[in-house]
Amino acid sequence: MSKLTPKLQAEQDRVQALVAEIYPGNRVERDVNAETVLWVNSQKELIQAVKTLRIETGLQMDRLSDITAYENIDGRDGPKRFIMVYQLYSMRFHARVRIKLAVEENEKVPTLTSFWRAANWLEREVYDLFGIPFEDHPDLRRIQMDERFVGHPLRKEYDIKDRQPFPDSLPVRIAARAPLVSGQE
Amino acid sequence: MIKDIRASLLEERLNLSDFYNPQVLINMGPSHPAMHGTLRVMCRVNGEVVEDATCEIGYLHRGIEKLAESKTYHQWIVYTDRLNYCSALTNNIAYVMAVEDLLKIEVTERCQWIRVICMELARIIDHLICIAINALDMGALTCFWYLYHWREEAYTMIEAMCGMRLTTSYARIGGMSYDLPDNFDSMMAKFLKGLPKSIDDVEKLLSANRIWVDRTKDVGVLTKAECLDFGLTGPVARASGVDFDLRRDRPYCTYPELDFEVVCGVKGDVYDRYLVRMEEIRQSAHILAQCVQKIPKGPLWVDNRLIKIPAKQDVYNDMETLIHHFKIFMEGINVPEGESYNCVESPNGELGFYIVSRGGPKSWRTRVKPPSLLLFQSFEYSMKGAKIPDAVSILGSLNIIAGELDR
Repeated sequence: MSKLTPKLQAEQDRVQALVAEIYPGNRVERDVNAETVLWVNSQKELIQAVKTLRIETGLQMDRLSDITAYENIDGRDGPKRFIMVYQLYSMRFHARVRIKLAVEENEKVPTLTSFWRAANWLEREVYDLFGIPFEDHPDLRRIQMDERFVGHPLRKEYDIKDRQPFPDSLPVRIAARAPLVSGQE
Repeated sequence: MIKDIRASLLEERLNLSDFYNPQVLINMGPSHPAMHGTLRVMCRVNGEVVEDATCEIGYLHRGIEKLAESKTYHQWIVYTDRLNYCSALTNNIAYVMAVEDLLKIEVTERCQWIRVICMELARIIDHLICIAINALDMGALTCFWYLYHWREEAYTMIEAMCGMRLTTSYARIGGMSYDLPDNFDSMMAKFLKGLPKSIDDVEKLLSANRIWVDRTKDVGVLTKAECLDFGLTGPVARASGVDFDLRRDRPYCTYPELDFEVVCGVKGDVYDRYLVRMEEIRQSAHILAQCVQKIPKGPLWVDNRLIKIPAKQDVYNDMETLIHHFKIFMEGINVPEGESYNCVESPNGELGFYIVSRGGPKSWRTRVKPPSLLLFQSFEYSMKGAKIPDAVSILGSLNIIAGELDR
């Protein structure tokens, strides 16, 4: 087990307590590595949470590490179909916070491209593989799959043997971009 | 007469409208000698200057994350080799560490030291390849031979450790498939003696080389703020001055006991990335030398019968052990419900494995967070304003591996 050093453990404990203090009404958990998991209840709250976690002096979660999603078709994490997962990292305190948001099929999720340009491709990938649409995303297209591909392969109902080969590739499009707003203060 | 010439020239120019077009599209890849792997870039060029570019990925998408949902945890280790095939050892180890987190087990000390040795060897190999290919793309073939010699030596060492060269599959959940070979110390001593000499030689060939400096200085610059914005990590971010290394800032295995320095650049151009990588090779060699000194004797595997793969000798001679062996490989290890995100400082940056388990021998969701994806995303921006040959040198310095980019 990748055990944290005492200093980092204390830092993560502090972050955990602070997040729980800021979000008293939310589910705040710890995973097996004692990392903080914050459940947000709505799309609006997600944007608010990202803003707060970035700016709050004791947190400063300024690096977006990853955006992904997982299936919740078995309903173990609530009634909604998918769980969006955002991994944030603080370059100052070296602590992590994972934000989770449950979404229904075809329910829109706000984009984080205005906070980090890194979110662009990460969100495109989630859209491609899970079919979760993102609101106001500058360039919401498939990224791994061909644009002619039907279905979303990481959904549980998509059969692993269901291949869709294409004999040729489409011409590349010069993509629309997010405005160059660097969120660094 | 003069009028006729002018008219004919004008006519010629009209016929060659494409030639004088300031907006020409140039497609590079997916199969192009300078696009390492299957990367595709579409550039809009004006003369020789790239005014805009867009990248397309997915040509090597094999659905590795989807496969993880139908394979047991052990079966999936071989797929991690195929992510970043230049540093397969790092991928193996990062993955099994994530599974071990879910199982809440701690591997033995000897195993941790072996893992550090593996990861540093992988880092050296990856950096050697990156610098060698980057120089090769710009026509410097000599460095390629100097560096690839030591890459081969490192692979020979890895072959002695686990029987494979490129796709190693060395790590196992709860241990390693083999212990270090008997002559490992002497092999490592030979390697650590020869490698720095070659690195010095290459540095003499490149660092003050007029052609190399002209081709790399102020090319593909990424500022510190841009690196954070794009979520970049690893040598590329460090070359821009982001003082961040997971080995130091969020240490795992036995890194807290090791003495090494995190190398940072200033400008964030291709030249700084080259310097950072060169110095990191030296630091890795320094770490390896310490590891050989410090590695303790002792058991390699965790003392847990449900996880430990029984020794082959016992499997052949003892019936219970044979049953146990089959249980582990036919059914797989039962991993409790939970989730873990484990990340290590891979040669290219933060490599993370996010595993959601719902119990049982297969994962519910395995997500690979590859450093290359975010690096390649920044390529669209950093190549703007550069010339086409510069784009090749920028791409080489980012060290994008299509295997982990597309998964």
